[in-house]
Amino acid sequence: MTGSISVIRVGDLLLVTVPPDPDDPTVGELQEGVLRAMEQYDAKGLVLDISTVETLDSFFARTIAETAQMVGLMGGRTVIAGMRASVAITATQLGLTLGGSLTALDVDRALRLLGRGAQGGAR
Amino acid sequence: MASRTGPLERRKSTAGEVAPVDWEGRKAFVGFTSDDAQLLRDLRPVAEAYAGEVVEEFYRRFLSFPETRAFFADEARLNRVKAMQKQYFLGLTEGEYGEAYLRNRLEIGRVHQRIGLAPRWYMGAYSIYMQLTFPRVLAAFAHDLEKGQRAFLALLKIITLDKELAVTTYIAAGEEIITRQSQEIVEISTPVIQVWNGVVVAPLIGSLDSQRTQQFMERLLERIVETNSPVALVDITGVPTIDTQTAQHLVETITAVRLLGAQVVLTGVRPAIAQTLVHLGIDLSGISTRSSLAAGLRVAFDLLDLRVVAGAAPGARE
Repeated sequence: MTGSISVIRVGDLLLVTVPPDPDDPTVGELQEGVLRAMEQYDAKGLVLDISTVETLDSFFARTIAETAQMVGLMGGRTVIAGMRASVAITATQLGLTLGGSLTALDVDRALRLLGRGAQGGAR
Repeated sequence: MASRTGPLERRKSTAGEVAPVDWEGRKAFVGFTSDDAQLLRDLRPVAEAYAGEVVEEFYRRFLSFPETRAFFADEARLNRVKAMQKQYFLGLTEGEYGEAYLRNRLEIGRVHQRIGLAPRWYMGAYSIYMQLTFPRVLAAFAHDLEKGQRAFLALLKIITLDKELAVTTYIAAGEEIITRQSQEIVEISTPVIQVWNGVVVAPLIGSLDSQRTQQFMERLLERIVETNSPVALVDITGVPTIDTQTAQHLVETITAVRLLGAQVVLTGVRPAIAQTLVHLGIDLSGISTRSSLAAGLRVAFDLLDLRVVAGAAPGARE
């Protein structure tokens, strides 16, 4: 699975598109890749595009939340973008939260949210 | 609970909508044994001798009340019902109280429920039966009053079981109506309306149970994604009362919306609702709430950096 995650640099932000059905190693790889890129580019923010993700398990949810925290420690803000309605319902029912990470309806809004430096997760 | 003398048998539904009846268990609980069945069998000649006059007296009582008289429109019908009643009465002392008996009694209950005979008349009728049979049974066993007593108790047990079965059919019918109606309520779709580019409104009417919440959550989330709306106004003006469960369901919905990347403004928080929420100790501190939908709309505009400006747009004036 190595190499299945690509961290794209957009200005001073990072963009990662999560594959549809990420297994545990992929999720671990994602965290490694993101943190390396944070260090390398001194990015101000990270957008995690999960619009293709169909199932959210507890490991994935926890890793995402932790990654957001780690990115925060390295001086960046994380926005999780494009969660599907069905995934959000399942996640809520399972009691999975993303540790209060910022969220956005899509990548476009996520980029604007980070670019504007606004608070709140709804713009 | 009385210990069960017979094997606990789950029966297939025997009378349409009525759920399986644990007939052996019911008999065990009222203490109906094979001795009772034998006693009732012994009563058979007595019942046959008196059936005619008991039924006549029975209908005299029924005909003397306008509500029950209404069920017997004409003589032919009355005679037919009397014949059936006699059959029923004799059935009590038939001596066989198995599956066929159960089916027969459930069917009788269902017929009475269907013609709309209120339980008070139905149950009252059993009392009339007891009054009419008691002296006759005692008279028939004048030589052996102890046996007469046991025979009457056996009759009391089987009539109690009959009453239970009748009540069961009435409750089953009632439950069926409730199920159908709640299904209809769920099916009355909860509208999620786009009121502005980026703003949807979901007015909630009535109480929120788990099933409705699930449906509501799905619709709301789907519409948010469909319309790409970052703000959803959930209006609870039409929710009569809020309990911890309803509040929990609301919080769940709001959490799910947030995961999508949108935000909920809870509107229509009336004074009574606000009081209840505080008294129940429900924490909505992370959620924007407003008392009116109009105030909620203003919050939505603020969130979207929109300003409503009064003014003279060209062509907007009359």
